[in-house]
Amino acid sequence: MKSIEISETGGSVAIPIPGSDWQSENEPFRIGVRARSFVPSFPRTNNANSMTNDQALPKPSVDVLRKMDDEALITAFQSGDRDVYRFLVERYQERIRNLLFSIFHDRDFVDDLAQEVFIKAYQALPHFRFEASFYTWLYRIAVNKSRDELRKKKARRFFSFQTLDEGIERELNVRLSVPPENRDVQELVALGLQTLPEKFRTAVILKDIEGLAYEEIAEVMQCELGTVKSRISRARAMLRKALKPLMEEVHL
Amino acid sequence: MKKMIKDKLDGMLSQYVDGVLSEKETQQVESVLAADASARQQVEELKNLKILLSSQPQLNPDIGFWTRFAVAMDEQKEEEHNLLPFPRKFIPAMTVMASVLVVVMGTLVIQDRMQFVQFLSTKSQAVRDVYNNKILQGSLLPLFSKVDKERALQFSLFGTLQLDDKSETALRVDEQSEKGYRIEVGNNSKSKTKAVTFDRFLAEVKPSAHQKKIIDSLLELTGRRIESSVLIGENNTMAIAPDLPKLNRIMVTNIASCLEPLQRVSFERLLEANNAPYEVTANTIPQGKAGSYFQHIPKFPQGDRFVIITPDTMMYSQIHIDFDSLRRQVEGNFVPSEIRRAAMLKKIMAREFQRLPRNVHFPTPDQIFNGEEFFSVEINVPGEEDNQQQMHVVVQPRFRKQILVPEMPKHSTHMRIGKDTVSTDITP
Repeated sequence: MKSIEISETGGSVAIPIPGSDWQSENEPFRIGVRARSFVPSFPRTNNANSMTNDQALPKPSVDVLRKMDDEALITAFQSGDRDVYRFLVERYQERIRNLLFSIFHDRDFVDDLAQEVFIKAYQALPHFRFEASFYTWLYRIAVNKSRDELRKKKARRFFSFQTLDEGIERELNVRLSVPPENRDVQELVALGLQTLPEKFRTAVILKDIEGLAYEEIAEVMQCELGTVKSRISRARAMLRKALKPLMEEVHL
Repeated sequence: MKKMIKDKLDGMLSQYVDGVLSEKETQQVESVLAADASARQQVEELKNLKILLSSQPQLNPDIGFWTRFAVAMDEQKEEEHNLLPFPRKFIPAMTVMASVLVVVMGTLVIQDRMQFVQFLSTKSQAVRDVYNNKILQGSLLPLFSKVDKERALQFSLFGTLQLDDKSETALRVDEQSEKGYRIEVGNNSKSKTKAVTFDRFLAEVKPSAHQKKIIDSLLELTGRRIESSVLIGENNTMAIAPDLPKLNRIMVTNIASCLEPLQRVSFERLLEANNAPYEVTANTIPQGKAGSYFQHIPKFPQGDRFVIITPDTMMYSQIHIDFDSLRRQVEGNFVPSEIRRAAMLKKIMAREFQRLPRNVHFPTPDQIFNGEEFFSVEINVPGEEDNQQQMHVVVQPRFRKQILVPEMPKHSTHMRIGKDTVSTDITP
């Protein structure tokens, strides 16, 4: 007997088709449906900003939404509920702010740049394909954005005839020359990071401050694993050199 | 080589600190560390550095981040709908700049206002001159700029006028079509009508000095009338006054009127010999009343309906002509250059002969003949017959074996436009 078999997550249902001869083999025709992670069925809102939309279906509570994983929130976003973006922002805003702070060491500049990163992500999220995890994807946007900003700063420095790197190095040396008991170690390390070229700085920050694995860094920086290892190694060597007096004295 | 080995060792030590080396690599590194104090120092420093980096201070959580972000998003959306040529945030700056610009410009204008006034008046005068000299006078030009006595006579007797001296193309008019009149532009080289020169006319008819004076002034008036009746437009348009065909009969009547009976016979003989469209019924004019049969020749076309021929269309339509301006043109103030006139005419004729008219707009049933070498417009004007009957006293149409369009040229199309139907006969 010819039959159509619909397999549901786990079990399967076979529907017989009497008298049908469109399938010559005896094998039942299978329609496979893969179960994805839980996707709540939100009512679609016309106004992306509006958080109060009374539709027939009740919207999951804020607590439920907050607990949902990235994938579920992105699926909801891509199905039209733009409001859930708030929970993604709240989840990652501090990590992105801190990453940008580590790169630029400029508290005032961080918030504007973080906003730009999240706006860029908002615009690109409808095309997110779940090929990478959301946070590495977000980090990639942040790293690209900071690279653009550093280039702009470099250009501005070129036209204003300043050499900021030399200024930082001089400041670092001045601070390193004070007696050890008066030194602000964290400030020295932050200044040391600023002396590194962008790609080395970003690699070592992602590794040692953000705690990403080598593979994740390769994904974020869009380069080979070997390149990441080499960059981190060289960045550490440069930092050791820049912070030599500190390295010799610090015993943790 | 040493540097390469050192770089490799640095990399291995860095990864050793991170704990990502394989078991074998870890053993290798540890054996190096056991033997090399500086490597041990390096590992120590790397570990310290790692701790220092991981203990870098974190920013305080920003509670208001989402609120500010939502505002930034709204601004972004507004910016996406911005139609201004600059970002919205620059609106105040641009307003200030525009105000400053207005003030500066205003100050400059006030300071140099006399120069501006002078400049503007010069410019407006230039525009007025262009309008008067080019636009006003140039939009419609008389096709025939200098119709001399010879050409006026040719038209008066035969209703035929060469478009230019070299061309074989001629404008022909015929009042004696079936009901109305016909205006035709076509190849005249095969026409059987011969040119009658003014000298030959004088030799045949032998008018007295007084008669010659009258005929001269009549021909001059005819020439002026032709000049203002056939117009050519800048946009390859030809406009012909529909009362032009009457001129042929009126002129034959007028010439006949001023002649003595014997002279009239000679005149009629001349007309007959050359197959002219009208014959003089000489005996019907009572003695001594010749002058009363003069037909008035208005200097300019009466009425403002014209037959308009364009490369694509033929129309019988109203056009408003500034006859004062035209008079100036005709009287020699502004005469189009021969080259320009010839070029415009060539455009109309060449295109007209090459293809059939696409659109024919005539209010009354009319006939359009269109062949390879000619096109002809026949216009029926009801109510003209009474007038014609009255004119037969002096002049009547000759029964002609040769009609104006003697035979259908090969590959021609004859289109009849009736009140309800449009029929087309194509002669193979």
